[in-house]
Amino acid sequence: MENAIEVKGLAKYFSNFRAVESIDFHVKKGEIFGFLGPSGSGKTTTIKILTGQLDPTVGEAFVFGEKVSKLKNSNARKRFGVLTDNSGLYVRLSIFDNLKLYCQLYDLPISKIDEALGFVNLKEASKKKVSELSKGMMQRVLLARAILHEPELLFLDEPTSALDPVNTLHIYEGLRALNKKGTTIFLTTHDMHEADTLCDRVAFLNKGKIQLMDEPRNLKKQYADSTITMELTNDEQVTIRKDAAGAEAMYQLMMENRLVTVHSNEPTLGDIFVRVTGGELV
Amino acid sequence: MTFSWKRVNAIFQKDLKDFSRNLAVSVVVFLPLILALFNGRAGENTITGHFMTINIAFTLIATYVQCCLIAEEKEKNTLRGLMLSPANTLEILAGKSLLSFVLTIIVIFFSAYLSGYNPPNIWMISMAIILSSIFYIGLGTLLGLVAKSVMDSSVIVLPVIGIFSIGSFVLLLVDKYPILKIAEYLPNVQLIELAEKIEVGAEFSEVLSNLGIISIWVIAVILLTIVVYRKRMVD
Ligand SMILES: Nc1ncnc2c1ncn2[C@@H]1O[C@H](COP(=O)(O)OP(=O)(O)OP(=O)(O)O)[C@@H](O)[C@H]1O
Ligand SMILES: [Mg+2]
Repeated sequence: MENAIEVKGLAKYFSNFRAVESIDFHVKKGEIFGFLGPSGSGKTTTIKILTGQLDPTVGEAFVFGEKVSKLKNSNARKRFGVLTDNSGLYVRLSIFDNLKLYCQLYDLPISKIDEALGFVNLKEASKKKVSELSKGMMQRVLLARAILHEPELLFLDEPTSALDPVNTLHIYEGLRALNKKGTTIFLTTHDMHEADTLCDRVAFLNKGKIQLMDEPRNLKKQYADSTITMELTNDEQVTIRKDAAGAEAMYQLMMENRLVTVHSNEPTLGDIFVRVTGGELV
Repeated sequence: MTFSWKRVNAIFQKDLKDFSRNLAVSVVVFLPLILALFNGRAGENTITGHFMTINIAFTLIATYVQCCLIAEEKEKNTLRGLMLSPANTLEILAGKSLLSFVLTIIVIFFSAYLSGYNPPNIWMISMAIILSSIFYIGLGTLLGLVAKSVMDSSVIVLPVIGIFSIGSFVLLLVDKYPILKIAEYLPNVQLIELAEKIEVGAEFSEVLSNLGIISIWVIAVILLTIVVYRKRMVD
């Protein structure tokens, strides 16, 4: 199966500063791929290169098997959607008018606007002027604009960074539904929970380099410390290993009817990231 | 490369709506009309007088307004969205120029009416004015792409307005400073020369050189604009 994105030895230098340093990865068609990293790690830079807004200093990037520098014709453009942190809206126009322009540019029926606004939970606000919107609403309009044409490949640069938990969940649902219909998603975030809930695979980016890349499940298995923490009736917490001695201890507590809760101590993606990079996430 | 009028029109419609709500810039449209009204009242009926108004329409609407429209798209990051959409370079540049073009032509038409300018050969003058409008809009686009913000555009546009409006006065100094002779080739000077020839009943063949020189300016500014635009696509 052809990959949606393929990146080989990609690097971007701003004069002497190395924003992205020799990264390699691919994104399979139909995947939700998470590009994770702290602020300044090169996430936006990578998206800009992949969408042809920035030329790489070294290396190559392919989208749909075509070099990114060759993706400038309108048919190629119709295949992907982009939401970056440098996207803008026309502030004097309404949400509806902003999306109407894009409907016309993409040759879509106007009915798509309603669909896209439903996706981001903004149907009622469609007549509102953009200058009157909150930050989170603006981010949702930009997201609606990016998915208006149901692209085959969607680039999302921190799509939920300004959203409240309810809207975030609504958007996760929408993105999953879109993915089921066949959209490949390349998502950057520094929200490890978001990556864990949404992504089939993740890459950890730090200081312009990929430190680790795998399915979240595999990473958690790999970095699991194989202990279990139990809460007892007297509010005491006991941590045991997943071995014979641990089983014995747990059996005993259950026989005595003192066990309230049991947690397997799986590391979160955030824990793993900290361990791999030795740094804290913002 | 395809060219879709539908996309050009979509950008135009958007601009029209946006412009009507942008009073800070749209009010500029009335200045040439007011000047033309004064000229008409004062009975000022010379080519120099009429073309002073027309030139103000060119620099203020075709160049300054266009520069602001482009600079704002850049400043607010909306130009990036257009660049990433299926619209190609020509569609975007044409779409972004259409509003300024329509406004320039309408304002010049009414200015001429108000100031009582009635050229003997309306077709030749119209052709020259349309060509000139394209030049001044190209210039505005170019400056807008170079400007960092809308505030910046006013500063950048000023010296350019200077060059293209005082050109004709500079010619009075040619005897003293022969180097100023190049000012003869400025598009505004060519336009006035053409208008003066037409006023005394010149044929098409007699103004061909003026139209030719203006066309060269048009082609040069369009090519330069496309080059700068392409550079802006990857920054
Ligand atoms: N045009 C530029 N010129 C110089 N340096 C730049 C430029 N763009 C980005 N950088 C630098 O490259 C590094 C990576 O930036 P990038 O925007 O890709 O980070 P990011 O991972 O998206 O961060 P954030 O989470 O804050 O959005 C940063 O140190 C940034 O300062
Ligand atoms: Mg970023």
